[in-house]
Amino acid sequence: MLLSTVLLPLLAGGALAEHTSNWAVLVSTSRFWFNYRHLANVLSLYRTVKRLGIPDSQIILMLPDDMACNPRNAFPGTVYNNADRALDLYGDNIEVDYRGYEVTVENFIRLMTDRVSEDMPRSKRLLTDDRSNILVYMTGHGGNEFLKFQDAEEISAFDLADAFEQMWEKKRYHEMLFMIDTCQANTMYSKFYSPNILATGSSEIDQSSYSHHADNDVGVAVIDRYTYYNLDFLETQVREPTSKLTMGDLFDSYDDEKIHSHPGIRYDLFHGGEAAARSRLVMDFFGNVQNVEVEGQARRNETEWEEDLLAIEKMIAEAKRRHNESLNTQPLPSHLVEEADAQDTKQTVRKEGAFRVDEDAGWAKQIIGAVALLGCVGIWAAGSWLDV
Amino acid sequence: MPPSRGADASPAFSTPDQVPKMTAKTPPESTESLWLRRCVIMSFWAVAICLGLPMWWKTTAIYRAELPLQAMTDWADGKMCKPVFPLRIAIEAPTLPEQDAQHLLQTTQHALDDLNEFSAHHLRLMLTESPLTPNISQQVVTHHGLGTRSNDEDIALSIRLIPVETGATPRSQLQPYAPTLDVYYTHNQLPPPSSTSSPLATSIAHELDKIFAEEQALLAYLLSTTSGAHAAKMKSLSPGTFTELERQSTRALKYAPTYHLTFSLFTPTSVPSAWEIESALQRYLSPLLESFSAISNFTVDSQVQLYAGFSPSIRAPEYDEAMQAWTLRKEDLSGFINAAEWPLSPSIGHGPTVNFVLYVPDQSQSPLLVKENGGNSWLVPQWGGVLILNPASSQTPTTLTKDALAPAMHSFADQLLSLLGLPQSPASFPLRLSTLKRVRAASLIFSASSTMGALARLTRQLESIPVPDTVARSVDSTMAHLQQSCDLLRDGRFQGALEHARNAESEAEKAFFERSMVGQVYFPDEHKVAVYLPLLGPVAVPLIMAALKELKSVLPGRRR
Repeated sequence: MLLSTVLLPLLAGGALAEHTSNWAVLVSTSRFWFNYRHLANVLSLYRTVKRLGIPDSQIILMLPDDMACNPRNAFPGTVYNNADRALDLYGDNIEVDYRGYEVTVENFIRLMTDRVSEDMPRSKRLLTDDRSNILVYMTGHGGNEFLKFQDAEEISAFDLADAFEQMWEKKRYHEMLFMIDTCQANTMYSKFYSPNILATGSSEIDQSSYSHHADNDVGVAVIDRYTYYNLDFLETQVREPTSKLTMGDLFDSYDDEKIHSHPGIRYDLFHGGEAAARSRLVMDFFGNVQNVEVEGQARRNETEWEEDLLAIEKMIAEAKRRHNESLNTQPLPSHLVEEADAQDTKQTVRKEGAFRVDEDAGWAKQIIGAVALLGCVGIWAAGSWLDV
Repeated sequence: MPPSRGADASPAFSTPDQVPKMTAKTPPESTESLWLRRCVIMSFWAVAICLGLPMWWKTTAIYRAELPLQAMTDWADGKMCKPVFPLRIAIEAPTLPEQDAQHLLQTTQHALDDLNEFSAHHLRLMLTESPLTPNISQQVVTHHGLGTRSNDEDIALSIRLIPVETGATPRSQLQPYAPTLDVYYTHNQLPPPSSTSSPLATSIAHELDKIFAEEQALLAYLLSTTSGAHAAKMKSLSPGTFTELERQSTRALKYAPTYHLTFSLFTPTSVPSAWEIESALQRYLSPLLESFSAISNFTVDSQVQLYAGFSPSIRAPEYDEAMQAWTLRKEDLSGFINAAEWPLSPSIGHGPTVNFVLYVPDQSQSPLLVKENGGNSWLVPQWGGVLILNPASSQTPTTLTKDALAPAMHSFADQLLSLLGLPQSPASFPLRLSTLKRVRAASLIFSASSTMGALARLTRQLESIPVPDTVARSVDSTMAHLQQSCDLLRDGRFQGALEHARNAESEAEKAFFERSMVGQVYFPDEHKVAVYLPLLGPVAVPLIMAALKELKSVLPGRRR
């Protein structure tokens, strides 16, 4: 009993341990030229998190269309998020992970739950663990509890909530910030039920999310309001990775008058509730700050170390010699034999897989098809005969 | 309603003489056509029920293989396996008669058991065969029921008792490169046959307790953080130890069967443009990597990047007059790696990448140090290490020689050990390795078990997810490996336990991340109605109406 009272606070501390990596999943879900602003939203955020230190290998960028190379783009090869066109978002150092028709609901859910095929490159996977903070930013056209993908399909709030639950169960995140800029955005996070998610959206149910301004030369709106004011805060206030501004500061900067809709924030899932969520640093989600451990200077004894290495080498040589001897005298240890067996069975399984697509199966299908066809003809013939 | 009228009227038509009066009405339906119509309706229904319904059922059903959900949950709750770590400690006492040795062993064991607060981790002493007196060893071996095979890898530590005449006794010395503890004693320190304690026994027990203190703390921490079920029998950890262990676990990489090491040389100018990295790695690092081969494998690559600038968002180094050096503030260090432009993390191969960055500053900014403590290297938890190499001469050499790289390699080697989670004590390297083996085996068992639990919960919770047979097979294999691993742990065969735990982990991952288990689309009920109604409505309405009409025509007829 005494033990548990001593330990409980410590264990609680363990659950709140610091994160060691930051990941960002930035998703635009709409195609076509007139949705230029959604891609600009995502690219702006991409640029910001990269500036604050998240490496490209830890940013998953999903762009369903290529605005930079769109024939209607008066400024080929560029994407701007402001009419002053001071900053080319496309630049020369951008890594798009999912592009064009790869941006689907299925791929998004596969990405989040890591149910991808074996040949998926590591750069396109979300390789997070229980020490990773994830920023999920989505933008596109949405409605009550859904978000359209490419005008062809939609992801529902339930799917999203289930995907996040699977991530939580598999310990794939430490804390998550979910941001969404779409019409009726706040409905998208209303179904979440997994812990440690801090969610924010641009507009309430039955509210639209508006664009900020259009660039007359580009010819379309270039950024959405909610994203614009988030970026405004991140770019003007969070100047360097050492920034100590908190999520509370970011949320307080939201101004309904300017955004033209009511941004929502959901604290209840977060461990420690509103107070804890608000006290998280902006850099905990938008940057990549780790507590480095600085080592002292020149306290090492090089000669001693070299002796150590020699001794280790000798030790290994000795171990190898003994291992070889034991191999000569003893049969294989049981686990090795088992592994070999396992490999054998694997191979046979593979063979089965190969048989499935070979000629016989194909013929069988064709025969079934032919029989079905003949059957139909027979029924028709019988019917017409009966008719007569 | 027309059908009822028709039904009522039809029997009346049966008398032929009334027919001429009723010319305005439809002609009577013959029994033949009545039955034909019924047959048609029935055959339509038969097709719908016998063919359509099963087909609909078959094509929309989600295949869910049977999973042993209860067993999976039990594993996750720690009910199936309580990991214990019985360590065998062999005592070699070639000069002692067997009786005395036995007695010493028993008293030491008593003293040990009194000291030990952590029941899952206990040390078992035993006498071992020594080359000088094979007779004794023979008896001892049979006495303890241990086969001859236990004499190499399964013994965690062997104690050599060496009688001496001079010097402070009892004293002990741990061999740095062998799992051996030398204990020096004088004869009068042996326990007399009647007593239950002696200074020698107590001293050995304390020494052993000290040697395994960190391992016990590590395991206790692991048990306490991963599963609530074990907390009861846990050794109490002082808050200080707990924070230290937490820091260690934050720092150490997650276990992987293969790690990829990347050594990168970054310089803001054009020199140095080459380094003798291959021979340096061969010389300074490969012995270490090889010694880890029982736990993990490593692949290594290296790169040189010239003209690598700092990220624009970190503060530029400042010149410190007192230190006579350029300095970086500690809080800027985490932004030192210019992640946006430096090509790190090559995303090749399997397994996580560990980065080691050697930065040679520009001559105008050399030497470059950390402001707070004047150090030149730091470790980034779960990522890798960084070292700033300030060239000794005023001119930066174009090629860094093997010897110039030695301090950097030393630092990287230390960082690597720390990142791999190797404990800092005891002083004997093989002992620390075997400690790591046990800790990794336990953590893999926990992680595979918790994956099983997660899979079981998700299967119960998300009913729209398909569960193919491969998942069931992987689950079975995971649990078999877990059980074997747990049994081997109990037997004290830790290498086998680690291998089974590793297999269990990879099978568990395979089961959880099965590709086809994507609960892709959630359909709310209104969606289902919206999909089915336009499809089935036009078909169902005539079917149902016709059936109702026929039923009504049949039922009153019977009543009458």
